[in-house]
Amino acid sequence: MAEFIEIKNLHFSYGKEESKQQDDVLCGVDLTVRKGEYVAILGRNGSGKSTLAKLLNLVIDDLENASGEILVDGVNILSDDMTEDMAFELRKKVGMVFQNPDNQLVATVVEEDVAFGPENLGLDPKEIRRRVDEALDTVGMSEFAKREPHRLSGGQKQRVAIAGVIAMMPDCIIFDESTAMLDPVGRKDIVATMEKLNREHGITVLTITHYMEEAVRADRVVVLNHGKIAIEGTPEQVFSDAGALRAAGLELPQCAQLIEELIKSGMSIKECGITPEDCARIILLAGGATCQ
Amino acid sequence: MSIKLELQNVTYYYGKGTAFEVKALDNVSFAVKERSITGLIGHTGSGKSTLAQLFNGLEKPTEGKVLLDGADIWDKKYKGGRLCFRVGLVMQYPEYQLFEETVFNDIAFGPRNKGMSEDEVKQLVMDAVSFVGMTPEILEQSPFDLSGGQKRRVAIAGIMAMQPEVLVLDEPAAGLDPAGRADIFAGIKRYRDTTGASVIIISHSMEDMAEYCDDVIVMHKGKVMLTGPKDSVFADSDKLVAAGLDIPQITRVMRLLKENGLDVDASVCTKDQAVAELIRAFKLK
Repeated sequence: MAEFIEIKNLHFSYGKEESKQQDDVLCGVDLTVRKGEYVAILGRNGSGKSTLAKLLNLVIDDLENASGEILVDGVNILSDDMTEDMAFELRKKVGMVFQNPDNQLVATVVEEDVAFGPENLGLDPKEIRRRVDEALDTVGMSEFAKREPHRLSGGQKQRVAIAGVIAMMPDCIIFDESTAMLDPVGRKDIVATMEKLNREHGITVLTITHYMEEAVRADRVVVLNHGKIAIEGTPEQVFSDAGALRAAGLELPQCAQLIEELIKSGMSIKECGITPEDCARIILLAGGATCQ
Repeated sequence: MSIKLELQNVTYYYGKGTAFEVKALDNVSFAVKERSITGLIGHTGSGKSTLAQLFNGLEKPTEGKVLLDGADIWDKKYKGGRLCFRVGLVMQYPEYQLFEETVFNDIAFGPRNKGMSEDEVKQLVMDAVSFVGMTPEILEQSPFDLSGGQKRRVAIAGIMAMQPEVLVLDEPAAGLDPAGRADIFAGIKRYRDTTGASVIIISHSMEDMAEYCDDVIVMHKGKVMLTGPKDSVFADSDKLVAAGLDIPQITRVMRLLKENGLDVDASVCTKDQAVAELIRAFKLK
């Protein structure tokens, strides 16, 4: 698969103009994301993960404080040659869904909200109609097309926000803690939507989250700590290294913690179980062997 | 243990008599014990946040009674003092409500409005800061220079500084990383242990509820579905699952093990309990 995002030796700090010395938020990040990949980015508060996401979409001030390269589809978006028009093109390719659903809905009718992006592209009304209908269908919100966004639940609002991004037909969507303010039902909806966009529509997905359970479903997990990549690998690899995760200020999913304790108590377990189903299967297997 | 806060047959309508009339609570009764940490669980729309606003008198029940120390807070003869000081409410994402120039002034806002002397205020602020596990150096900083987790703790300290007898928190750990969550819950526990207050926590995280609460109340469609000590509530996990609610991951593992013929207690809801139970079942050590 082709590389879609290539980050090379990225450094960034906020607000140099302030009197106090600001530490670098990002200090030497190298990361490659292939087209069609599903990557989860984890990290404690202040580890630099949201900053990284915002840089990818250039929705950040102080760009002069960034050094290194970010290639998106071959274009270095940090280069001095980057014009407003090019930034506009970039945001068509890389869409972003934020944490608070109330901060990203602009219209008073759901379908008008979804149409906001395509309308600003100056598309033909028929094409706008087609994109809006398709986007609402993809996120399962077609029946809410004529409703008022503020009367929807958090998860529904967030799905409308995603539809607004899809209507721009991006290659990649970044979810910046988009499930953090939702209830469990809303969270499941959004995670299912992310998976669908990735698996069925081939959209590259980058999701930033605190929920280990969500990261488990990604192709690859990247853990940031103090502005650097601390761990990188498949969910199985990342969650089998409890020491490294804790050093990065994170904690194992509860199921993996249970297995860790059982190993300490003398059970012979070699696998790492992240979901309750895996965890139960592994314990039964090991229990049988231990008792014989 | 005696009862601190009690709801008797409370029914509550939003927009009664309008086209948008919604029955948010339907004949709800439960009791919160003194010195207990009680978890309030339920789907969005199950009535949890309405309850939070009934506890400190922000909303008045359409029918039924809210009793604090046995006294009806809506009775004309109620003489229990200002409810907003007795029942402290920490709303969701309270860090957005910080407004003062220094952390000290922000935390002092409540006690000052309570009419305390400046010496008393100072003591209450110091106590509150230590409850949430922060050091006095932070007091002179602007709350807007702090990290998200620190802001959250300052906002909670602002309510603790009024030393409410009942502390109600709506999703106090939402959006924080694991270390930040642990800090918040340790602070809540320290407040309860030191002041002897009752604490009510609203949360979607079954794992946090299992870990930190003594009692649990499960709301479903405006009614109380289950209430009692957490072990007995999570022992009824069939009911929770049927209502579409999550159960703690550990309880799910134990249920799966039991379904597969292992003789374990499937009501177990914390990691430590599960480890002990499995050591027993497998005769380890």
